Amino acid sequence: MRPSPRALVPVLLCAALAAGCRSHEGDARGAQRLVLRYQPLGPDPAPFRALVAAFERESGVEVELQALPNAADLAHQLLVTSLGAGGEDVDVLVLDVVWVAELARAGWLADLSDAFPPARVREEFLAGPAGAVVQGGRTYAVPWYVDVGLLYYRTDLVPEPPRTYAALAAAIRAAQAEAPGIAGYLWQGRQYEGLSCNFFEALWGYGGTALDGERLRLDSPAAREALDHLRGLVADGLSPRSVVTAAEEDARRAFQEGRAVFMRNWPYAWPLLQDPASPVRGRVGVASLPGAEGPAPGALGGWQLGISSRAPAARRAAAARLVAHLTSPDANAVLAIAYGRNPARRASYEDPRIRAAAPFIAALLPRVEAARARPVTPYYMLAGDALQGELSAAVSGLRSPAEALARAQAQADAIAGVAR
Amino acid sequence: MGAALVAPAGAALALVALGPLLATAWLSLRHRVPVLGEDHFVGLSNYRALAHDARFLGALANTAYFTAVAVGLELLLALPLALALHHAGRGRGALRAAVLVPWILPTVVAAKLWALLLQPDLGLLARLWPDGAGAVLTRPRLALHAAIFVDVWKTTPFVALLLLAGLQAIPEDLARAARVDGASALRVFRSITLPLLRPALLLALLFRSLDAFRVFDVVFVLTEGGPGHTTEPLSLYAYRTLLRAGSFGLGAAISLVTFLGVVAIGLAWLSALGERSPGEAPP
Repeated sequence: MRPSPRALVPVLLCAALAAGCRSHEGDARGAQRLVLRYQPLGPDPAPFRALVAAFERESGVEVELQALPNAADLAHQLLVTSLGAGGEDVDVLVLDVVWVAELARAGWLADLSDAFPPARVREEFLAGPAGAVVQGGRTYAVPWYVDVGLLYYRTDLVPEPPRTYAALAAAIRAAQAEAPGIAGYLWQGRQYEGLSCNFFEALWGYGGTALDGERLRLDSPAAREALDHLRGLVADGLSPRSVVTAAEEDARRAFQEGRAVFMRNWPYAWPLLQDPASPVRGRVGVASLPGAEGPAPGALGGWQLGISSRAPAARRAAAARLVAHLTSPDANAVLAIAYGRNPARRASYEDPRIRAAAPFIAALLPRVEAARARPVTPYYMLAGDALQGELSAAVSGLRSPAEALARAQAQADAIAGVAR
Repeated sequence: MGAALVAPAGAALALVALGPLLATAWLSLRHRVPVLGEDHFVGLSNYRALAHDARFLGALANTAYFTAVAVGLELLLALPLALALHHAGRGRGALRAAVLVPWILPTVVAAKLWALLLQPDLGLLARLWPDGAGAVLTRPRLALHAAIFVDVWKTTPFVALLLLAGLQAIPEDLARAARVDGASALRVFRSITLPLLRPALLLALLFRSLDAFRVFDVVFVLTEGGPGHTTEPLSLYAYRTLLRAGSFGLGAAISLVTFLGVVAIGLAWLSALGERSPGEAPP
């Protein structure tokens, strides 16, 4: 007797259920499947999808793309919650430069030293990101693309970009004499991670460092000078008071409207400032950030690809091949040309494709080579929250810089002390 | 029989409310930082740390100030609004709908709207009064008031609607009889309307103060707690400690203190609500 079509319903339901519950180990044919969790690179996903599709064709491994929110703190929180709970639901992770030390210490990142020997990583990639991904002589992630803090200036108001803080102040005064009412220097003073970047840049500008072994050293003479300098910019009217609530986009919009002489920002602002509708198009230049005695390094931002240590060994090999594919010179070129992301590979700045299609990026090599990472310590993310609040209190005039730094130091020590 | 009928609801409550609460209380007695692989019992030391934590005391003060000022203003503004709506003649329905618009907006959307208006450089208010209202978010001692303002702007209609329902429950005859006895409009309001409105007022106070004590979204969108933690309420501090700093034990302790604050406020209003209003006849 033939089964009636209705009798098939439970069978189909079971099959659907089984398909729904299928783990990402692979399907019946044994094809491997990887989960890549990343932050969208731009409005058009097509170039990135094509890059991943090329890997799928070559390797026969299926890649599932899971988008993370485009806010670093949120993405960090999602990763920590999922990895901390022992989740096996992700293989390849996209990591901010300041997370690698923390997650490597937690034991959540696979050691990639066999596939990517530390010596080769240091040779092929820029020094900043290479220093962030190689911890204790082992490789825990591979640099994907980089970001660097830059000084933007108005070429019609400033004849030559300033190299020191004194020259910056003089240039602002001169430009304001020429164009009354224009704001001076825009930067990021809101209570968030961007403020920490601005602070570390000033700290390096005064020749200081923030790391003493694994200990965050925030209460030093150079740090006090740096925070005095940032507070002074606001107090002396060299920066408008609005910088104490400004993030990147607040600064970029005001600068693009032609309301300021200088701006500190990341490279992403360049194509927007040069947009045909931009009021300042053709009147903007880019330089290294000034320092106390000469140009200071910009803060290194950017993202790395790592592999979850919870991924089973069988998937890890495929994941390493995916990481190699996405960090290859060809992938660097796709990211630079389609998404304006700065290559993490040194040689890519000589790549004729990038030089032709994205000359601004190719010209940034000296700045990204000089870029410096925020303190590479497992305690950075834990202490960062306390640091942001104290920096914000100082730049908004609530506490003296010396007092704010003493408080930040006490909180950072308490966190590291409890942890030891 | 009654107990058996209540049992499913009780079980559901235990599962979704009591369980997580006890888990949080247990977590608050531990030092747990998953990123550092730390997890051990520390007794009350998280609470002792909070007692000396300037940021925690600041957050507690911010939360209490926000709740008191926002809820007080909302009641003060909502009462005349409710009276006006109650006595409005034609177009009453349309008026009520219009008043509700701010309350219908999701808080995040309303806060983002005001964040754009108050943006200290390009915002509309900054263009009108560059150093006055436009700069409010940049001033550590004023920024919290911007959050209070947005909350008042958004929730006053809701309070007004609660009071309006209370007003409509008052029998017209009482006011009419008083007027026959020669009472002035003010006297009618003080001796009849206000006492009979008491349950509605207390209910509005209960709802709003519980809500305001847990404030998160307005502040998160407007200032992220800055400048210098001066606008940070307890729930934002708890969130950051839990999820940004990844310190689960301490974060749980802050959450529990917030919860206890909410419970205390709720009990205070409920006991006030339970008291009979003066002059009300015994049943």
